[in-house]
Amino acid sequence: MKLLLRVMLLLVFCGVNTALSAQHDDHDSGDHSSHDGHGHATEVHEGCAHDDSYDPASVILHHIADANYFEIIHGVNLPLPLFLYAPGHGLTTGLSSMLGDDHHLKAVDGYVMNHGRVNRLADSAGDAMLSGEYDVECILHKTEVNEAGKEKDTYYAKINGQEYLLNAASVGDGGLLGGGITNFYDFSITKNVFTMLLAALLLILLWTAVARGYKRNEGQAPSGIQSLMEPFFVFLRDEISIPMIGEKHYEKFQPFILTVFFFILFCNLFGLIPFIPGSANVTGNIAVTMALAVIAAIVAYVHGNAHFWGHVLWMPGVPVFVKPLLTVVEVLGLVIKPFSLMVRLFANITAGHIIILSLVSLIFIFGNNGESVFGAAAGGVVGVAFTLFMNCIELLVAFVQPFIFAILTASYIGAAVEEHEHEHGHEGSHDVEYENLNDSNPAYA
Amino acid sequence: MSMLYLADFSVIKPDFGLIFWTVLIFLVLYFVLARLAFKPIQKALKKRDTEIQDSIDEAKRVQAQMAQLKDDNAKLLAEAREESTRIIAEAEAYAKKRKEEAVNEAKEAAQKVSADAQRDIANMRDSAMADLKKEVGTMALDIAEKVLQKDLKSDVNQTSLVNELVNNLN
Repeated sequence: MKLLLRVMLLLVFCGVNTALSAQHDDHDSGDHSSHDGHGHATEVHEGCAHDDSYDPASVILHHIADANYFEIIHGVNLPLPLFLYAPGHGLTTGLSSMLGDDHHLKAVDGYVMNHGRVNRLADSAGDAMLSGEYDVECILHKTEVNEAGKEKDTYYAKINGQEYLLNAASVGDGGLLGGGITNFYDFSITKNVFTMLLAALLLILLWTAVARGYKRNEGQAPSGIQSLMEPFFVFLRDEISIPMIGEKHYEKFQPFILTVFFFILFCNLFGLIPFIPGSANVTGNIAVTMALAVIAAIVAYVHGNAHFWGHVLWMPGVPVFVKPLLTVVEVLGLVIKPFSLMVRLFANITAGHIIILSLVSLIFIFGNNGESVFGAAAGGVVGVAFTLFMNCIELLVAFVQPFIFAILTASYIGAAVEEHEHEHGHEGSHDVEYENLNDSNPAYA
Repeated sequence: MSMLYLADFSVIKPDFGLIFWTVLIFLVLYFVLARLAFKPIQKALKKRDTEIQDSIDEAKRVQAQMAQLKDDNAKLLAEAREESTRIIAEAEAYAKKRKEEAVNEAKEAAQKVSADAQRDIANMRDSAMADLKKEVGTMALDIAEKVLQKDLKSDVNQTSLVNELVNNLN
């Protein structure tokens, strides 16, 4: 059933992706023909004129991206706090509203709001531009081809008729994905951070209320919110913690497993609400899943016993010439485990959001940018029907993904704290369990 | 084209700020939830599980005890019924015996009384007979004496004499 669902999701995703690419290609080639005069090196949207044509890819990617403010409705934003650090220039703090609104942008200490994210003028702008306040006329988008012949999106801020290159905040991709270390770091309370704080606050309120129930109804049957949440607690204990970690050690890790599950679940559910306080794509951002996966891996490896590390570093019971090979494989495994956790959650949530946004985009694609009302209506009918269906699947995924994340985290912890009574008795029941676990893992992949 | 797509695909680029805040929020959430909720709940659930198990064990024990008691009672009841039957049978036998004895006694007594009475009657008849014989003899002697003393010449005298004697006799 799950496999079927996955295949279906994959097919839907591939289909939408192809459609998107096709759309983008059309758009792109159209642009090329109209801007033929500008040559091959640079494609420029001149001046501050706003391009009204609908580009689904950029709209979708804008919607799943993090932002430095919370959009309530188009044009009305909830400002969020900024904590921006530029090496050599110190910390800049304030509300995101200090960088102006959509109609009147401002540059403060070189920081400019570019499509929801804070950017900073590149160092080439000079120290004068990197401090004080300036009015920004507009943000320009250019597609440049670098020395290696690859296209790169760049943005410029037009200030006093002068165009200044904009840098995005530093990211930890090592430049592999078009990011890298730039001239500033963004530690702001972004839309995603705001949603995580909200989810954390809700979880604390919810679970302290449940815990109060246990104090109040001691020796009695559970009541109210306590009886609502108890099945979750017991299910996660009996289906994840105990079978994966074992009777002996599970109690120590049960709070961790529960926190992982509910934090991801609540972030997922907030992501499914299409308006404030939801709509933030928290668990569909690789930074979030990376942090969670690395924490999970550290928790597992820190509790790894001598038996676990012995198996990783110098596998017993195999010929000596195989041992170094297995060590390489096992050490790689230590990295691959959290990597798979990171990518699985990220890809599932992001894919779901992209599909839903693509279906909504059908209204504008069929409507041909507002030229065809009937096309828009047809797109609306199709889009609503499929979005409803996708939302149901997304709701399922919102529950299934934290469950998988929690069960795999528990299995990594279980493997790390597992104890063997007989070092040489490798046909013991533990091994059978371990084999079964490995067999069942592909189902969650 | 593909590069353009990737360049805009910002969610795949791990933002340092977001990593920092995720770690901070998650760790604080973990410590708060573990301390305020999950550990107390775990303890409470475990306690309740133990209590429920204890109650079930206790109920089973009591049930076994009850079954034992019931068996004992049934046995006692059977014994009591047997005893009562025995007692009643004994009592009935005794009563029958007593009745027969009483009847026999009564019969004997009655026989004795009737035998005594017959003997008394016989005795009295004998004694009455003896008295009568004696009286008749005396009377005969008296009559003979009177007859002898009177002048028995005339028939009239004889008749009157006989009448007088008869009257006297009465």
